[in-house]
Amino acid sequence: MNVAQQLVNGIIIGHAYALVAVGWTLLLGAARLVNFGHGQIYMVSAFIAWWVMSTTGLPYALAVPLAILASAALGAIMQRLFLRLTLSQDLVNLMIATLGFGQILEGAAGLAFGPKPETFTSPLQAIIFTLGPVWFTAQDTLTVGATILVFLGLYLVLDRTRFGAAVRMVAEDPPLVALYGIQISHVYISIFAFEGAAVAFAAVLIAPRTPILTSMGFEQVVMTFVVVVLGGIGSVGGSYIAGLLLGLFTTFFSALVSPAYTTASIFALLIAFMVLRPGKLAASGNFAR
Amino acid sequence: MKALPAPLRLFGLAALALLGFFLPRLLGGSSHVYDTFGMIATFSAMSYGLDIILSDLGEISLAHTAFFATGAYAAAILSVNDGQGAWVAMAGAVLAALALALVLGMITLRTREFAFSLVTYAAAVVCMNVAANWDFLGGSDGIVGIPPLTLSIGPASFSASQPPQFWPFAYLLLLLTLYVVHRFRRSRLGQAALMVHMNPRLASMCGLAGNQVRLLVFLVSAPISALAGWLYAFQRAYVGTDLFDTYFLVLMLTGVILAGRRLLLGPLLGTALLVGQKSFFSLGAYGDKLILGTVLVGILCFCPKGLANLWRRRSHAAVEK
Amino acid sequence: MSARLQVRNLRVAYDRNLAVSIEHLTVEPGTLAAVIGANGAGKSTLINAIANWSRAAPRLSGEILIDDRAVAGKPADLLARRGVVLVPEGRGVFMGLTVEENLRAGLSAVNAGGKTYSLADIYTLFPRLRERGTTPGGSLSGGERQMLAIGRALRMAPRLLLLDEPSIGLAPRLVSLLLETIRALVDGGLTVFLVEQNVHAAMAVADSLYLLERGRVVASGSVAAMRDDPRIIEAYLGARDG
Ligand SMILES: Nc1ncnc2c1ncn2[C@@H]1O[C@H](COP(=O)(O)OP(=O)(O)OP(=O)(O)O)[C@@H](O)[C@H]1O
Ligand SMILES: [Mg+2]
Repeated sequence: MNVAQQLVNGIIIGHAYALVAVGWTLLLGAARLVNFGHGQIYMVSAFIAWWVMSTTGLPYALAVPLAILASAALGAIMQRLFLRLTLSQDLVNLMIATLGFGQILEGAAGLAFGPKPETFTSPLQAIIFTLGPVWFTAQDTLTVGATILVFLGLYLVLDRTRFGAAVRMVAEDPPLVALYGIQISHVYISIFAFEGAAVAFAAVLIAPRTPILTSMGFEQVVMTFVVVVLGGIGSVGGSYIAGLLLGLFTTFFSALVSPAYTTASIFALLIAFMVLRPGKLAASGNFAR
Repeated sequence: MKALPAPLRLFGLAALALLGFFLPRLLGGSSHVYDTFGMIATFSAMSYGLDIILSDLGEISLAHTAFFATGAYAAAILSVNDGQGAWVAMAGAVLAALALALVLGMITLRTREFAFSLVTYAAAVVCMNVAANWDFLGGSDGIVGIPPLTLSIGPASFSASQPPQFWPFAYLLLLLTLYVVHRFRRSRLGQAALMVHMNPRLASMCGLAGNQVRLLVFLVSAPISALAGWLYAFQRAYVGTDLFDTYFLVLMLTGVILAGRRLLLGPLLGTALLVGQKSFFSLGAYGDKLILGTVLVGILCFCPKGLANLWRRRSHAAVEK
Repeated sequence: MSARLQVRNLRVAYDRNLAVSIEHLTVEPGTLAAVIGANGAGKSTLINAIANWSRAAPRLSGEILIDDRAVAGKPADLLARRGVVLVPEGRGVFMGLTVEENLRAGLSAVNAGGKTYSLADIYTLFPRLRERGTTPGGSLSGGERQMLAIGRALRMAPRLLLLDEPSIGLAPRLVSLLLETIRALVDGGLTVFLVEQNVHAAMAVADSLYLLERGRVVASGSVAAMRDDPRIIEAYLGARDG
């Protein structure tokens, strides 16, 4: 085994995990909301970018922002639909509703794009850097760099801006927010738009690694969930580190043990964490409201 | 409404059950109609497993596709690999589901709300992964060649390979499920579950151990979905990883929510509507997904208490006029 | 000049329980009106209803006019931006935000209608807050938290400041200090509607007084007139808890 190469792969995959999860970090940590349609937005974003490139011939660099805009709109629409459930903090129904929304996206994408796997490629994948025993592509470099920037940006926005303060206010005490003159529905809709945009950004960077399928959304949520929980719910820095460690873990697990059972091993990791630090997920924790 | 005297009610129920049995015949009796009714019975039995978690315990389990699939896989393995009869397969399905439920129940014992849902969802994904990769479970090809359902009671033996022959089994399973859910709601466990859900503080003051109640309800619910899976395996003659598809999950959830929670016949009606659509007005697999998702989102956004509540409100309004 | 706040036939109910029923209530611009009454009299329900805000979901009916414009039913955040600013009972600031963030977080429209207080103005008014600028709201003392709550409300250029028991839990000396500060603000032109359990303290600073019992106004008038009212004497001489 080429340990150095696996290490590089792990770092790249880890950044990919973190980037896919960043929208959820904000969603769950700041607004106590979940989105089971997360994986389907990932899928739809990849297909939008692929479709734009293959039908209009636009370059990758233009397809990316289009997909991000479309998915941000999707996130905003989703939250606009669910606003009543969100405002009444009906979290149970909200959760099922996002699952239903994911189902809508999957059905619509199936109708539009069919069941065949498609190849969605980025020109940067062809550019390969070799450093001694290890190699990686320009796309990998972009993924790692973009992830670091997104996390840094999110941290600064949350910590330094008025909008960030509004998000923290919504997380702490939703009714009180209104007395500060802030329309809470705008904050919720913006958070969901960010969630859509962030997962779309992740999709356009990461999906080119494998053929894309309209059924690929189902499993995405699990990895995201594990990243967010292991990172300490709502902690931006924590999610980044959790994603990175998880990437290293899965890379070495599939190299040393079995690639087929990676998801199962992640789940085992999650359970171990829950047993060791039950407070994080228990009813008494901040997790359940 | 005044309650009818007990013998009369029993008679009414029996008449209703008999009517339900002959309903496919009354609707033409074609193989397609029987097939649809068999599907409705099976899938609503599956939904009832989730119903008692969702309606009585107030949590959303996303692992019930895994229980459903566990039942189906147990039936397939026992009847294909070991050549066992349907009864043994049934026992295997129930035991396997109980074991899985016990493990999952212990893991999720202290989680609530979306933590509970997320962990159960993750568990379902993991189960699918295992099924797709473990040769014992047929891997990604699944297990094919499940023999026709044959159940023998004493000297009599009943066998089903065509939809019309299948219907009585599915219908019986549905009736049995309805009876179990009805009894559950009146049992001490059912009452305790409701109390733990509605008023955890009061429940703990009454000496109810919330976690114990939750675990027990989980253990009651899993075999219900697993039995539906057991029957479904014989119905389809093969099992595969598509049993874990979110379609089934969303079907269950929508079935439970569509008509209204904590209504005994709610999941049956909801499932009947959804399966009826798929069977008679299908828009293809993707179109059906789209419809299912739209129904679920629509109900939750505009009428979260279910259609029965809409109807009830309407009749209330009429009375007030 | 027209009244700053007029309330007519206001009824507020939780489920089916009528908690407040008020025929008529007015606050003139540039004055301090105080509402007094026993626990559960409906003081918080009333003041929250004016801001159309609640942590529960009460049902409101009736008319509320701010500077002769009907505002009943307008969302709480809009009212806050238009200068109807409430400092609620209990938790009124964000624990996770620093003092300065709390003071900067409020959003108000240009036509909020009141005097605009800068951050420096607030720090002059409450020097304690300046020292604690980077402290999270959760680490403040009770008194500091009340100052912060009032400070952030002033930052929103209130045309009507609604204060629900700002002095609760404070030491007697701090109570009178806080109320005197509020009085000084009123003398500077601010209009305040204040809920206060301490009848004595309220009388010392208010211009007019409303006595609430079981959701109804049982006595009202200028402080001077109310001082001799037997019901007030009875209430705050301790025949009943005042
Ligand atoms: N969230 C609620 N749900 C139901 N009833 C409520 C609620 N809040 C208040 N009430 C009822 O409304 C009435 C008035 O309550 P309110 O809080 O307005 O009184 P208060 O005068 O502010 O009392 P205190 O001096 O203790 O703050 C009380 O009878 C109370 O029981
Ligand atoms: Mg009060």
